[in-house]
Amino acid sequence: MSKNSNSFIAPMSGSKIFLQQVLALLEKDLKTEWRTREIFTSMFVFAVLVVVVFNFAIGADPELIRQVASGVIWIALSFASVLGLQRTGRMESEEDSLQGVLLALHDRSALFIAKMLAQMLYLLMVVICILPLCGIWFRIDFLACIGELCLAFTLGMLGLSIVGTLFGMIALHTRAREVMLPLLFLPVSIPLTIAAVQATAQLIDGKSLRDIADYLVLIGIFDVVFFVLALIVFDYIVEE
Amino acid sequence: MQKWWTIMLFVMAFPFIYLCMNRVFHATVMCITMNVAIMLVFIYAPTEKVQGIVQKIFYFHVSSAITMFFAFFLVCVASIMYLWKNSDWWDAIALSAAEIGVVFCTLVLITGPLWARPIWGTWWSWDPTLTLTLVLWLIYVAYLMLRIEIYDPNRARFAAILGIIGFVDVPLIRWSVEKWRTLHPKPVLIQEGGTTGLTSAMLLTFLVCLGAFLLLFFYLLRERISIAQSRHALEVLRHEIDEIL
Repeated sequence: MSKNSNSFIAPMSGSKIFLQQVLALLEKDLKTEWRTREIFTSMFVFAVLVVVVFNFAIGADPELIRQVASGVIWIALSFASVLGLQRTGRMESEEDSLQGVLLALHDRSALFIAKMLAQMLYLLMVVICILPLCGIWFRIDFLACIGELCLAFTLGMLGLSIVGTLFGMIALHTRAREVMLPLLFLPVSIPLTIAAVQATAQLIDGKSLRDIADYLVLIGIFDVVFFVLALIVFDYIVEE
Repeated sequence: MQKWWTIMLFVMAFPFIYLCMNRVFHATVMCITMNVAIMLVFIYAPTEKVQGIVQKIFYFHVSSAITMFFAFFLVCVASIMYLWKNSDWWDAIALSAAEIGVVFCTLVLITGPLWARPIWGTWWSWDPTLTLTLVLWLIYVAYLMLRIEIYDPNRARFAAILGIIGFVDVPLIRWSVEKWRTLHPKPVLIQEGGTTGLTSAMLLTFLVCLGAFLLLFFYLLRERISIAQSRHALEVLRHEIDEIL
């Protein structure tokens, strides 16, 4: 049905329309966010808080803190990610704006990809702001392995945002959204968390990219598997 | 490796056995098998030399672990079938299998530490298999909570998605916890309860025990599906009454 209604724009290829729609949706989300800075601010402040509270929980031993630093950073990021998804979800469910967007779409997975990219950008912004702080507080020189760290964090953030966006959409339909999202999101992302924490910890220890290749492959496979799975099942989530 | 294939085939035969039996016959066979299994475990099977009487829990622990994996596999298959065919029967299977799977998972998590305490000297170790079971428990408890929490009439669809994702996650979790453990090796790890070098008497006992557990699983599944279907029929009737009024 949707094919027929769009046949008059046949000269424009399907993939081009798809790309345009993804970019338009992403632009819409980022523009809203730029005006309010609501999601980023809450994610960032929350991540900082988690790091600080963990710092107190662990104690003042600098060597110990160095050892657990990567774990603390990733916990902060996962939790912040849950918070960001909840805010995004609330914005979408207000005045049923999600329905309006869905009506306009040729292929609904465009919505998924746009939401996922937006979430990933917020997370990357949080990482960029939080790493220098952690570097100072935990006395770790992140600059020494910044290239490798970028790769590890980008792959990890991609996985977190894929799984997070998917469950965020499901949690929209539940009564206790605030409870259900972390309950679904955290256990499923455990493989990613384990691999990412180990990769980051080894990079901090001065290991090379080759040493952590296994972990990066694991994160990559996690990303690919869940991305494909999300694209397949997304239609069932937003279907009315 | 060959032994694993035999056990897989053994397990896979049970759905067909289940479909062939009616309820009363199923219950009878299950009772007999359970009693035989208990007798075999405590009278027939030889006591293991090193671990002694503690090893007997292996028959129950591993049987419930295999049943649990089978239950979660069934959740995944039923979820895919539900999304494909959109029939309530498949949804009832997924829900029932998930509930009973969580029960068996809890059994595994209880019997595991009971065995580990005298043998490893600790209730819990973050061994890959234990960790995997714990994470699976968390995922499927979340699955059950999701089913309760959704107010949407299409809740079965969301649950089905989680049912698929949860099972796809299993190899990834397994891989990651294995890599994670190899970094922090613990010297206390022994080969798990006699999986290597079972005598033929032990293997027979184990298979009968596994059979009893699978029969129990399918019996509970049968009953749970009929509850789910009655509940669904009740909902439909209630809806009709509401429309009339």
